[in-house]
Amino acid sequence: MEAISSVCSMTGKEKGLVREKSFFKKYEHLLFIGPHLILFTVFVLIPLVFGFYIALSKWDMITQPTFTGLENFRMILLDKDSTFYRQFWNGLKNTVIFVLIALPPSILIPFAVALAISNRFLKAKKFFQSVFYIPGLMSITAVGIVFSMVFNRDLGIMNALFQNDVIWSRQQPYAWLMIVLVSVWWGIGGNMVIYIAAIAGVDRGLYEAAEIDGAGSWAKFRYVTLPGVKAQILYTTVMSTSACFNLYGQPVMLTSGGPNESTKPLMMYIRELAFGSGTSIAGIGSAMAFLLGLIILAISLTQFRFMDFNKEE
Amino acid sequence: MKKKKIDASGIAAYVFLILLATLFIIPALWALLSTFKQNRDIVMNGFTFLPQKWTIENYVKVITNTTNAPIVRWAFNSLVICFCHVGLMLLISSMAAYGYQRMHFKGRNRLFVTLMLLSMIPGVVNLIPQYIIVDRFGWVDTPLACIVPGLAGVGNIFLIKQFMYGIPKEMDEAALVDGASYWKIYSRIILPTIKPVLVVVSLFSFTSCWNDFLWPSIVFNDVSNITLSAGLQLLQGMYDTHSAGTMLTGAIVAMIPTFVLYLIAQKYFIQTMSFAAAVKG
Repeated sequence: MEAISSVCSMTGKEKGLVREKSFFKKYEHLLFIGPHLILFTVFVLIPLVFGFYIALSKWDMITQPTFTGLENFRMILLDKDSTFYRQFWNGLKNTVIFVLIALPPSILIPFAVALAISNRFLKAKKFFQSVFYIPGLMSITAVGIVFSMVFNRDLGIMNALFQNDVIWSRQQPYAWLMIVLVSVWWGIGGNMVIYIAAIAGVDRGLYEAAEIDGAGSWAKFRYVTLPGVKAQILYTTVMSTSACFNLYGQPVMLTSGGPNESTKPLMMYIRELAFGSGTSIAGIGSAMAFLLGLIILAISLTQFRFMDFNKEE
Repeated sequence: MKKKKIDASGIAAYVFLILLATLFIIPALWALLSTFKQNRDIVMNGFTFLPQKWTIENYVKVITNTTNAPIVRWAFNSLVICFCHVGLMLLISSMAAYGYQRMHFKGRNRLFVTLMLLSMIPGVVNLIPQYIIVDRFGWVDTPLACIVPGLAGVGNIFLIKQFMYGIPKEMDEAALVDGASYWKIYSRIILPTIKPVLVVVSLFSFTSCWNDFLWPSIVFNDVSNITLSAGLQLLQGMYDTHSAGTMLTGAIVAMIPTFVLYLIAQKYFIQTMSFAAAVKG
């Protein structure tokens, strides 16, 4: 900025004009960042503060909210007689179960696929890549319809194939198995593409050097490939973990949270509390949302910390 | 190495990929084939792979439904919403990215880092209050409810900003000295050069907008205003297994747009993901 105004004054323009111009120029950046800042304030900052206020209130979304302090959080976390206590802990338990069983395959399977696709003998790389990538472009509702039919007892593939009589959506552990299988089908594409790019980015020279040192395939994988893609593995692990915590669409479409609410994640409870058919219990919903948000944030930060993510930067 | 004769790892890769790809394709293929079956046949015969008698009656039924599951209307709603959303997002994000990358003002970096940190807060926290705000604006049941709130994101600005970082500053600084305004530099010099990253963020935003499910299922009350992705949930509630073919047809029809988009812009899609990861990693 200084450079410009000095250039202006050097051309010998009137002083007053320069000053007027520089006043405008001083705030000219607002023209560019302003629209987004306004949107950010209205749709992120204000909701954040407002949401916290709701979480501390009793509110049905229609009448005036009554401030109740930490009462909502006390009920949710500690009051064993409260429905909300049961809902929160059950929802959290189910969400955590999903994270634990769905996270490993959503890292390992795409990684294995990426390794295979990166194999130097493999042809038709584009075809395979598309097969695993396209499902992720579909909405979970369309995917849900397809797989609720695939797993349907009477007309689906699964029972025809395995000759059994299971109602997948109504029996455990099949309900979870179904949700995880669909999640893998739907969700591995993104991570796979990231891994393929990462593997392609590993320095070829390192492989040659390892070969000269007499390293076999396993040693090359262990000491060249793995360290080379570490950053991307960590990145995808953090991202996939928080994606798993946001589980919502799969149980809604496949099991409706059943059997006996055993696949009902926290997100489903939150949505029902605030936007369900009966009276809205927005305060409790918002309090649960804050707790879930806090858990996701804490876990992401721990992962970043623990995995020393930014070391290379 | 020289003879390029396939080794054990190559064979293993083929076997693994062919098996897994088959597992991935079969459900989708079966669903596609089932859309050509008669509902009566599906119910009576149970599982079959190929249709006994091919028919397009499901497609006719799904597409001509204009009352309780107007799928064409839903697709139209989704198109309007996603195109408006992506267009506005490109404008607002690239302008902001330009501001944070090229203009000098007090507290610039601190402001941007603050935005990034705040955007790390999981979205679930904002779900309920955002609805209230959208409701106060009178946007419930209008496309605006799905177009505008998503524009507040910081991720796309970050990606575009990172890309701008690689464009030599001399180019626009020379123009600045020549007396060009910031707006002129932004629109004439910066915008054309950042096209690749704009393609990437557009595809990203378009597919996530198209597939968004939770939010549209909250902000629309009227069946005819809803988006395709949220509408399919209603479709599932409307038909039972007696109309399995019709239901599957709805799902397949909903998959067509993103599928076609992928075929057209395949190259960019693959770039998108690796690009995003490379920048963020």
